[in-house]
Amino acid sequence: MAKTFVIDVGKCCGCYNCQLACKDEHVDNDWTPYAKPQPDTGQFWMKIQENVCGTVPKVRMHYIPLLCQHCENAPCIPACKDGAIVRRDDGLVLIDPEKCTGCKDCMTACPYGVIYFNDELNLAQKCTGCAHLLDNGYKMPRCVEACPTDAIMFGEEEELADQIAGATVLQPEAGAKPRVYYRNVPGRFISGTVYDPVEKEVIIGAVCLLTSANHAVETFTDTYGDFWFKDLPAGKYDVTIKAEGFEGKYFSALDTAKDVNLGDIPLTKE
Amino acid sequence: MAKSRVGIGADKQVIRGSGLMGPRDSGPPMVVDVGEGKIKRIRPLAYETEYDKKDFNVWKIEARGKTLTPPLHAIPGPLAQSYKKRVYSKNRVRYPLKRVDWDPSGAPGSTGPGGRNTQNRGTSKYVRISWDEAAELVAAELRRVGGTYGPEAVFSQADMHGESKHLSPSHGCMNPLLSLLGGYTVQMRNFDSWEGQTWGAKHVWGCEPVGEMAPTSNLYPDIAQHAELLLFWGCDPETTPYPIQGMMSSRLCYWLSEIGLKSVYVCPDLNYGAAVHADKWIPILPNTDAALHLAIAYMWLTEGTYDKDYIATHAYGFEKFEDYVMGKEDGVPKTPEWASEKCGVPEWTIKALARDWANKITSLIHGNAGPGIRGPYSSEPARLEAMLLGMQGLGKPGRHQAKMLEWWSWVGWFPLPFKGIVSPSVFMLTEQVRPVGAHTVEEGMRPSYMGTHPEVVELLKPAPYAPLQLIPRCLVHEAILDPPISWWGLRAFLEPAHEQFTQYTYPAPGCSEIHMIWTDSPCSITCWNDSNTYIRALQSPKIECIVAQHQWLENDCLLADLVLPVTTRFEMLDMGMDTGSGLLMSVFVEDECIDPVGESLSDFDVVVKVAEKLGLAEAYTKGKTHEEKQKLAFDGSGVEDLITWEEIKDKQYYVIPVDDGNYEQPPGLSRFAEDPASSPLSTPTGLLEFSSSALEEHFPDDSERPPVAHWIEKGESHDERLSSERTKDYPLLCMSNHPRWRMHAQGDDVTWTREIPTMKITGPDGYQYEPVWLNPAEAEARGIQQGDIVKIFNERGTVLGGAFVTERLRSGVAYMDHGARWDPIIPGVLDRGGAINTLTPHNVMSKHCTGMVVSGFLVEVAKVTDEEMAGWRRDYPEAFQRDYDLATGVSLSGWLEQ
Repeated sequence: MAKTFVIDVGKCCGCYNCQLACKDEHVDNDWTPYAKPQPDTGQFWMKIQENVCGTVPKVRMHYIPLLCQHCENAPCIPACKDGAIVRRDDGLVLIDPEKCTGCKDCMTACPYGVIYFNDELNLAQKCTGCAHLLDNGYKMPRCVEACPTDAIMFGEEEELADQIAGATVLQPEAGAKPRVYYRNVPGRFISGTVYDPVEKEVIIGAVCLLTSANHAVETFTDTYGDFWFKDLPAGKYDVTIKAEGFEGKYFSALDTAKDVNLGDIPLTKE
Repeated sequence: MAKSRVGIGADKQVIRGSGLMGPRDSGPPMVVDVGEGKIKRIRPLAYETEYDKKDFNVWKIEARGKTLTPPLHAIPGPLAQSYKKRVYSKNRVRYPLKRVDWDPSGAPGSTGPGGRNTQNRGTSKYVRISWDEAAELVAAELRRVGGTYGPEAVFSQADMHGESKHLSPSHGCMNPLLSLLGGYTVQMRNFDSWEGQTWGAKHVWGCEPVGEMAPTSNLYPDIAQHAELLLFWGCDPETTPYPIQGMMSSRLCYWLSEIGLKSVYVCPDLNYGAAVHADKWIPILPNTDAALHLAIAYMWLTEGTYDKDYIATHAYGFEKFEDYVMGKEDGVPKTPEWASEKCGVPEWTIKALARDWANKITSLIHGNAGPGIRGPYSSEPARLEAMLLGMQGLGKPGRHQAKMLEWWSWVGWFPLPFKGIVSPSVFMLTEQVRPVGAHTVEEGMRPSYMGTHPEVVELLKPAPYAPLQLIPRCLVHEAILDPPISWWGLRAFLEPAHEQFTQYTYPAPGCSEIHMIWTDSPCSITCWNDSNTYIRALQSPKIECIVAQHQWLENDCLLADLVLPVTTRFEMLDMGMDTGSGLLMSVFVEDECIDPVGESLSDFDVVVKVAEKLGLAEAYTKGKTHEEKQKLAFDGSGVEDLITWEEIKDKQYYVIPVDDGNYEQPPGLSRFAEDPASSPLSTPTGLLEFSSSALEEHFPDDSERPPVAHWIEKGESHDERLSSERTKDYPLLCMSNHPRWRMHAQGDDVTWTREIPTMKITGPDGYQYEPVWLNPAEAEARGIQQGDIVKIFNERGTVLGGAFVTERLRSGVAYMDHGARWDPIIPGVLDRGGAINTLTPHNVMSKHCTGMVVSGFLVEVAKVTDEEMAGWRRDYPEAFQRDYDLATGVSLSGWLEQ
């Protein structure tokens, strides 16, 4: 049994309700022994990260709600010399505000940067999963309750199995076994618009071929002359564009370290 | 939610609405936990807390094998979720304030010690006074001004958008008292949310009372079942609805995408809706939509891809429109090439859009925004859009104009089928904008239930004297500085199209100019047109006294001579209703929550204080306590036969079962589409008017709003295009949207939202500046980097901001939301807080259209150099020495005399 979060990035509209509800619960409210009050500003036990991808007009956004990952192998626990951090039976990882001595070792150990320091109280603080509410009959943490699109889900791992299938975790290489799963995190894209500069018309149905060392995908331009190769891993790609009656176009070694907008691509008539 | 329920750490649980529109609807209901007299938490109400789901008869939309149902809890937006910070803001007015150098014993126009010093409004600070002194001062000024000039010398500014409350509404509480004193001059709100549709589209399709397509019944079931393409035209479903009706729009947009509809966004910015929902973003230059519309019409006419049969039976004046589009009228065919240069969209994309729209069953989606709203000549794109919809068979299945907010619509239409078996109507105790000369209940637009509850009728009976004089809100500055003035229409907010052909003047015959202002809507500086001139107008010696009643010391409050502290909704009793969130309708009791912050009183009780000094308290209150009024509000709510007072007082809310009859309502204009003869539009011909018969009759020679909608490059009212000579100094078009994190001017002081990157940019000096969005190319051309302090400016003034350099905005544009709090360095000239409306055009939309222009105007943006800032600090030290809270921004303490 372990409490688990599943966050569907594909349903996150970036409203920040989760970040704000967290503050509503924890700022100015003292939930000792679960947590001392969160400072009014500067801490984000739930933090929305904004990602703007591409260039005009091929721009997409996604938001990553980032909170304590309540890891199964939480690196913060052994890092804490005072034994102030515990993983409860239900899987939630808590910092005991009475035991924390403010050494900050847990902050260094955490791969996710989700532990904050309260200078005034000399205390490390982070998401508690609203354990003070769950222990008193509430069904979910405030961030989950406040999410207008049900993008943030919370429950026992078994209950969420369907959502966890195919989901990813952040930085799996850190080996922390996080208990926060993310769905539909977009990969990089390569996109463009294909047009005929003489007729001033988009070219619909142009064949666009994406290739890399171990990747080959074909797509066609749509009614706006647009093509999209989405969810690409970072890497180098070649793109070939062909349309009947036009000379082809070839782009080599496109680097998806960033999303790539090839812009409006004119094709010359043969 | 029985009264016995309490939250963790709390000793009491109550309900509050969270809407911030002001009139009518309370917004999504929230559960408030109160402990030790303080708000501990604010959460969305779960409807099943006291009831069973089966009691609700939950609505659904079925389309393409999928089903949409509402969530069983309220889904408020971010401002509702962070409202605790609003209640306890450092910027709350905690006691009555008087401007230090306003001496009411001074003669009108007097300056110096013992004078009224109206010229110092916006500069001078405030001192605390007692409630007794404040009420006596207001009463004395009312007596003096009324006695000297007549009752119309007192000007009531009391229209929308504050907290949505009923027993003590945010707006208009002073009006019955002013009426008891013999009358007043009313500020008539221009149709700010749908200027273009009201002054333009009404002349195409009628669609009273607003001018947006109506009726709106069952639009989304029909769209889900039949439409293929959604054009979100200047619409941000992830911003505008949030603080009014919450976030059903978000869920709906995800669902419409899920069932396979394509969403194309036409807007200069990758707005928050486009950012997550768009299949295609077409970045257009601000306020150039009319050019794009005309090119689309050109394509359809050229390729024959419009609904000719429909036009043959449903249109009037189509040939004249065709002549204009094809260039027969003016020799200029409105080709994609012609339009591309004006609107900044590539020719090939214009053609592709025109064909996609013609090939697919298409609906247009708005959110009280878009091309038809607040730009120069916005009557034209609003008309053209209606015509384009007409050319593709408006009203046929899946072919509509629909909105992503105001789910209750205006006259009982519901685009989502959530209407309850009764549609509740909790009364508002006072009236905001009583039409001039409206003496009867009907004319005052009172709700229909009034006839059935004698005590309610008595309570709501209009005060004796209706206003005899009005000033349109968009012309207040001109009325003060340059009377007499005249304008067309606007006798009332929401009036039929034919009223637009009546001309009014100020001063009205027999009425005085205004000499005293009483406002409960102190936001014109940051929300209305040419507000630098407005600031200068309110500094006029002619305006001898300004009284503001408000919760926060912000914007126009800083021009007031007396500021009276008002409670938030959490500090007073009320009855609430949610009829507009689009989920389920509910009525709720808003019982005692927390004590008033400081010495604040409800808006109603503020007026009672003054009424007492005038010997009119009994006449004003009608002898009813708040508890009695709360009960009467229930008695007239419409649910009084469905639940007892005792039960709702205990459970605190009631969810109204959904009416199965909702599904039977014909969608949109389907009846007109089917048979225009039996279901005509409200236009003079009953048809879609491609040349307006009313404009042909009344203004045949108006070059700014001709009978056939035109592209207006420039005119006597406005010169705000990229073709203007002014672009040598001001080469960018400024777009100003509804703010994402505020409700217009409301909520700029919330420390938690001010940490969000698109809410404020912390400058190198620690000041939190309002973001000015620039495309990286425009920023680079000006040597501007993310986070720089920049100035945005034109002939009308300068506003400082923080550079937000982003691919979310096309080039040629500077974008700054309205609603940031004014923080003057030089009042009327230079603002640090980000009140972009200080730079907006002075003139109304066009000479016969009394609407405002607050977006789509020319500006330049430049980096503020260290020398420049140092110069301002040297020359205006008092502005920089004002106390400024790093998290809250402008704060009360900065304006108090130490």
